[in-house]
Amino acid sequence: MPNKNGSVYGLTILSPIIEDEKATPSHDLQIRNYLAKLSIREESPFAQAPGTHLARLVVMDDVIYVGMPACEEHLKSKYLVFESNCDGELDTYLTGLATNIPEHLDAIWKHCVGYPGAANCEAFVDYMKACQLDTTFYFAAVNDKSVPESLRALQTQSAVANFIATHQGADPVTLQRDFIEFAAHLESQPPPPPGSMGPYREIKTGGRNE
Amino acid sequence: MSNINGKVYALNVITPMKPWKTWILRTAFFVLDHVKPLQQDLVNLSFIEFARWVVIPRNDFPYLGGDQKKEVLKYDYLLFFSNFNGTWNQYIDAFSAVLSRGLNLIWRWSEKFPGSVPVTLFKEYIARVQFDTDYYYTAYPQATANDLKSAHIVQSSFDSLNLVAGQSNPQQFADAYLHFVLAVQDHLGETGEAPVVG
Repeated sequence: MPNKNGSVYGLTILSPIIEDEKATPSHDLQIRNYLAKLSIREESPFAQAPGTHLARLVVMDDVIYVGMPACEEHLKSKYLVFESNCDGELDTYLTGLATNIPEHLDAIWKHCVGYPGAANCEAFVDYMKACQLDTTFYFAAVNDKSVPESLRALQTQSAVANFIATHQGADPVTLQRDFIEFAAHLESQPPPPPGSMGPYREIKTGGRNE
Repeated sequence: MSNINGKVYALNVITPMKPWKTWILRTAFFVLDHVKPLQQDLVNLSFIEFARWVVIPRNDFPYLGGDQKKEVLKYDYLLFFSNFNGTWNQYIDAFSAVLSRGLNLIWRWSEKFPGSVPVTLFKEYIARVQFDTDYYYTAYPQATANDLKSAHIVQSSFDSLNLVAGQSNPQQFADAYLHFVLAVQDHLGETGEAPVVG
């Protein structure tokens, strides 16, 4: 099954959410409340754990009825969908999540059936794999670069544009000297943190017809 | 809820399929996966960062025992997750205009799929089967798919120039620098905050 495209892994997880009539608010709503307050910038759990290009968490309430003559049917559970586009191998990625952001994983997945907690890394990985769906077809526009490589490249692109703009018409001696200094300085800089430069969460947009 | 983070939009779609049709779709995907030229239109669209289709057979929804009730379904389901740049309307318009044959091949096995052309009915269908994202993260919200491709081209050219920078005389370096500028000049588009959708 093509869960991988080049060096990028397409992880799809459906975790059944606990159905408990006595829970107030319901477990799915508690997940949604937690996610609504979670940063999507460099403080995001997925920025703190290694290897996530893009990821989403979605509470799927039910399947969708498309109208007659199709049959109407419903799911017996709500599901938490975790869709991630990540670097490397699945075990390494999941272990990285369990090691770096256990408190966030527990806060979200504790509302799901059978979740063992992230403290037991092996049990966590087994649980996630039990909830995993194989991808049928996976497309990645850039499939051979890691997250740090992409962040580094974006940093270089911006810096190079500035360097070129400020060195138009420079004589060869100045150009070479400045370039060597510029390259050394650029290499000494850490890449921008994952998730940086994104919007803050007060964003209210997001309708499907935008 | 937000389907948008920076310059990316998260689209989630689920459609029902009669189980016997699933195998036709799996065959189509197998061919698409193994015959790379067939993916060229998808590559050329150039604003999709990642996309995936996942077929869930009606008996294969994750079941973990305990208090969970096992699903009893008549249909298999096709999930589609896309991470694209631009607006929902631009995306569906482009899909309909550029990939209509491919999309018909994929979704024609789903119940009530009206075809990807004309676009009005296609949009109505997608809007009906779409569900919203609760949390959406991207490591590089300021960059589009094209920005990423360009940045890697610049990085590669920059690394090559950097290798020879200290080993050449000023005139040789100036010549190499000129070639470098010519190679990267189309890939220096500025990244930054996404435009506000009005």
